[in-house]
Amino acid sequence: MNPLLLFPAGLAALAALALPLLIHLARRQQQRPTVFAALRWLQARPRPRRRIRFDEAWLLAVRLLLVALLALLLAQPALLGVVDERPRLLVAPGVDDAALVAARSDPAVDARWLAPGFPSLEEAAPVGGVATASLLREFDATLAPTAPLAVLVPERLLGADAARLQLTRQVEWRITAGGAWPEPVTDAAPKLAIRHDATHRDGMRYLRAAALAWADAEDATVDVAESVELPAQDTGVLAWLHSGPLPDDVLRWAQAGGQVLLPADAEMPDGHAPAAAWRDECGDPLVRAAQAGQGRLLQLAHGLVPAAMPQLLDPTFPHALRDLLQPAPAPTAVAAADYAPGTGGLAMAPVPLDLRPWLALAIALLALLERWLASSRRRGAAT
Amino acid sequence: MGWDPVTPGLRAQLRGLRIASRRSSALRGGGQHRSRDKGAGLEFSQYRGYEPGDEPRRIDWKLYARSDRFFVREAERDSPLAVWIVLDASASMTQADEARPDVSRLDAGKALAACIAEVALRQGDRVGLVALREDALVFVPAAAGSRQRERLLFDLERIRADGGVPEESRLRPVWDRIAADDLVVVLGDFLDPAVPDLATRLAAARREVLAIQLLAVAERDFPFADGRRFIDPETGEALPGDARTLRAEFLARFGAAQQALHARFGEAGIRHAVHILDEPLLQPLRQLFAAGPGGADA
Repeated sequence: MNPLLLFPAGLAALAALALPLLIHLARRQQQRPTVFAALRWLQARPRPRRRIRFDEAWLLAVRLLLVALLALLLAQPALLGVVDERPRLLVAPGVDDAALVAARSDPAVDARWLAPGFPSLEEAAPVGGVATASLLREFDATLAPTAPLAVLVPERLLGADAARLQLTRQVEWRITAGGAWPEPVTDAAPKLAIRHDATHRDGMRYLRAAALAWADAEDATVDVAESVELPAQDTGVLAWLHSGPLPDDVLRWAQAGGQVLLPADAEMPDGHAPAAAWRDECGDPLVRAAQAGQGRLLQLAHGLVPAAMPQLLDPTFPHALRDLLQPAPAPTAVAAADYAPGTGGLAMAPVPLDLRPWLALAIALLALLERWLASSRRRGAAT
Repeated sequence: MGWDPVTPGLRAQLRGLRIASRRSSALRGGGQHRSRDKGAGLEFSQYRGYEPGDEPRRIDWKLYARSDRFFVREAERDSPLAVWIVLDASASMTQADEARPDVSRLDAGKALAACIAEVALRQGDRVGLVALREDALVFVPAAAGSRQRERLLFDLERIRADGGVPEESRLRPVWDRIAADDLVVVLGDFLDPAVPDLATRLAAARREVLAIQLLAVAERDFPFADGRRFIDPETGEALPGDARTLRAEFLARFGAAQQALHARFGEAGIRHAVHILDEPLLQPLRQLFAAGPGGADA
């Protein structure tokens, strides 16, 4: 266990130790005028002894300590090598009840749910399947390198990601019955409605063509109108090809859960900071998107003409637009037996234990003591 | 009633005191002051009940024959004794202690003066007052009676301490009015040698002089423990210093000065007492005026 300072330059604040010393010295030089008629018997020692002396030694000591601790607080003290080597058990939500009861019954093991925040196993099962692999990597990285780790997973595990698990230690990978495959994702094309004005009549055609390409049927139609009338809320996507500011009812339509695609010459309403959602090969944004209530506002970066946006003529344009409007979920379900973690992960540098909260508490207590000493009645009697 | 430092409790304690002149008894031979109640030319004042300690010859035996009780004749006449209270009113008398900033030396001196006047007037003696102040000498001619008491209190209350001790030339009324064989009680701090000088010269000039020295607690204990600027109230001179380092030296030197003063008073035949501001007011009076059954042997 090694104490260390994360910011040793903070110790320069120790120079402030001079302050209480000066305060206690200054009080000495401040001489109270005293009427004293027997002055003639007092002149024996014209030069008083010049010796440095401090008033109220206890108060001075407390104040010095207080300043020193504050300087130490600035220097960010920490303890390195505080290792907690208890065996850990992580339980992924969805495991079989019998295994759960067995896991809860062992008091020597620090058992936790494999869920955000790693709640204790005593608590009710959290919603599982969220970034399981990522959480496991996090837990492994923050754990002392020598602490044994066991993970209890259902045989059908959700929340995996594209990389295989590589952890810093050999993990005991216990597989129990349980878990369920997720519902297959419905692959229906998004419904697009187009409302345009006269200037966007030409550009509208590219979007209509893309929407027709999504639908497999020969007789598919797209809801297109040269008007400002809003489509039904369940339409999903509205291409609002009008120049100028966005009307309030369109914004409300988006906030109710719709996605609104705007042309380059429309004005994004205030308070929305769009970020690039689709980039071309050079990395320049083609579409910017911003969250609006439950839905999204998307704005094209260029006019809907091939000269400005050659991607319109690209055969993959309908596909890319569809991915933008309705991203396909990443596959996260995996058979636990195939996902057993290997070793060889990069160990993180050990995180020192931050002592500042405790130090702050000590400083607060000391400040109270200082106030008590400074304001207590005994002080008046002592002078 | 106006200002009166003699509280009823204090007045009761004063009953036991008696002001007597040593000198008159020595010079005039045997109890002049004491014998004012008898002899020729006395004006009868009153009878009072016999009290243990009264001389049997003062009992009116004829009245005893009529009433079967002992009565003592009391008479009134001018006392041959005049009591002069000389109160130092220089600026050093304003000093008070930090523990009791409302009681200065001067306040204690005024209270003692009022007590002495009370005792003396009760005895039927004449009482006068001189307050020594640099700019204006307060002077109350000696007289007896309750009106004199009112006048003394009136003038005492108005005395303010300021400046130094008056010069010799301004002290003429003191020498003019205070006759030989008068009793003089000097109240002061005696830190400035002028007042003890005056007392010894008065004593040398056949006045019976008593001295009560009024000292502050600071002069007895020197209770300061921090940095101070000591200021002489009369000269305005200031002495900065660390009280702790000054203390031992001061106490030694001041004690020596006090001993010298006491020795000087003793040589001059001045009966003296010291009153320190935190001690009971009556103590110096008891020391000087304690009334034994014989009277003037204090």
